[in-house]
Amino acid sequence: MIRMGEGLKRFSWIVLALLLLCGLPAWAQSQSAASSAPAAAAPPPGPAMDAPLNVKAAQPPSADDLAKGDPSGTKTGTVNDVVISDPNKGLTLADTVNQVGQNRIAINFVWTLVTGFLVMFMQAGFAIVETGLCRAKNANHTMMMNFMVYGFGLFAFWVCGFALQMGGVAPAGTLGGAMPLNSEHTLSLLGKTWGIFGSRGFFLSGTTYDVAIMVLFLFQMVFMDTALTIVTGAAAERWKYVAFAVSSVVLGALTYPLFANWAWGGGWLSQLGVNFGLGHGYADFAGSGVVHAVGGLTALAVAMIIGPRIGKYNRNGTPNAMPGHDIVIVLTGCFILAFGWFGFNPGSTLAASGNGALRIGSIAVNTMLAGCTGSFGALLYMWMRYGKPDASMSGNGLLAGLVAITAPSGFVNTVSSAIIGLVAGVLVCLSVEFVERVLKVDDPVGAISVHGTNGLWGVISVGLFADGASNYGGSWNGVSGPVRGLFYGDATQLIAQLIGVGTLIGFVFGLSYAANFVIDLVVGQRVSAEDELAGLDIPEMGALCYPEFVLKPDSMPVGVAMSKATEMASPMRVAQETA
Amino acid sequence: MKLLGLVMALLGWLIPVAALTMTQSTAARMVVTLLGIAISLVGILVVLNKAHLKKAIWKP
Repeated sequence: MIRMGEGLKRFSWIVLALLLLCGLPAWAQSQSAASSAPAAAAPPPGPAMDAPLNVKAAQPPSADDLAKGDPSGTKTGTVNDVVISDPNKGLTLADTVNQVGQNRIAINFVWTLVTGFLVMFMQAGFAIVETGLCRAKNANHTMMMNFMVYGFGLFAFWVCGFALQMGGVAPAGTLGGAMPLNSEHTLSLLGKTWGIFGSRGFFLSGTTYDVAIMVLFLFQMVFMDTALTIVTGAAAERWKYVAFAVSSVVLGALTYPLFANWAWGGGWLSQLGVNFGLGHGYADFAGSGVVHAVGGLTALAVAMIIGPRIGKYNRNGTPNAMPGHDIVIVLTGCFILAFGWFGFNPGSTLAASGNGALRIGSIAVNTMLAGCTGSFGALLYMWMRYGKPDASMSGNGLLAGLVAITAPSGFVNTVSSAIIGLVAGVLVCLSVEFVERVLKVDDPVGAISVHGTNGLWGVISVGLFADGASNYGGSWNGVSGPVRGLFYGDATQLIAQLIGVGTLIGFVFGLSYAANFVIDLVVGQRVSAEDELAGLDIPEMGALCYPEFVLKPDSMPVGVAMSKATEMASPMRVAQETA
Repeated sequence: MKLLGLVMALLGWLIPVAALTMTQSTAARMVVTLLGIAISLVGILVVLNKAHLKKAIWKP
């Protein structure tokens, strides 16, 4: 019994030892698996993208409820309105997610289109501002230039301008990609790649027959047309209509798109940050440079070539007053332009949803403020210098402030906007005097000063005042982080802006001058002296703008006409006479 | 004179662009860029404009 008992005991020990030997590692493994189980375990299965969702929790209104009408607006726009791809399945998660994405792009489409429509209406503002600042005998001609520049520009931009400008801009994220615009011609020079022009989108045909590209085209087209209409003001009252037509087509098809590509289409100016470490590259939010300086510098080129109006300068070179015929439409036009600018600047986000697009509120207020302080600046300057608040220069001050804030509107705060506008208002007065008295370039509406001078000021002001608070999707021109100017710690941004200014003055002016010089040689830019004295309405257009008005006789000697004009002149003009 | 003015305008643009690869210094780049703008402005506002004013219609 004892032996049996000892044997059993020994056996029990052996079994226990085996159990320990085998069991411990197994226990340890199970413990380790248990401790890591929460991390390694697969997430609880979510609803499949194509599985029908239970929409009852959303409490959609019934058909009977809807039939009673919805005066409170609480039953309209519910889960019932989400588009279902497969009626047999009902609403799925995939349907919901797709609807969210489409809603974002739809908001951006509508925003971009509506702001584009506002910018298009600016053509009416430009037309009556310029016509009002011209003499009545040229009103039909001036109005018709502003009217047809829309068509000439649009056609040229559709044929090739848009492709040169935006043909390589993809991806345009806020509009869903616009991916067919994927071909930018580049030059390899000085060890870097330089984007020169795009090459997709001629006639908006082929793969560019795309909804996002149509939206982009409309928005960019009305911007381009704004640049074109600036030139007609500086060359008014003596520009041959056929020369105007050819010049406008060249600007819309070639000059404007080239610079716009460099700034907005992925071209070399926009890459100055990536390639050379200059801030975020040339930053021009809504086009002080691209639109206004291009238009203003082309206006300077044309005005130089075409020469001043007969009677503008005396034999000793002093300027004479040639007041416009309707200050009412001038100031009405300024209001229309200020209204349209709410499309110009806030619309340039190309988005109202996502990627920091909610800055549209800030951009709109900046735009308002700079226009306001611009008119203050001009009004105060004129009042202090000539003793009266001049109406046309107050209007030009408003426009100058708006032009100047166009580039920085997306990057600056309200205090900076007010300063930029105020400087622009004073600058436009100084520039008008400089252009008229020193350069002796005749600019009937002040387009060179409003758009050229202040367009350049707007470009520079980005490099000074950009405050680093904006963040459009985390980067600008491929450089991470927000845009900062010199006053906020980034001097290199100012250099990028100044290179843009140099390009505008050197290249854009040069190209515009050369093109219009050739046009002058081929078709002639200027009307005959007889036609000019008679007023261009009959000789050029075949009809008077105001047939029932008695116009001032033009057969009188220029000196007499000038003295009569001086009698009616604004304070600034009278001061010019006596200076 | 017109051609000279135009050449100066273009030169004033090309100088700072070409200088981008020659120096990394912010100050040097700033100076060259401002110099380029000045050359362009002189070319346009002085040389080219003077050439146009030579035969201005108001001159005796």
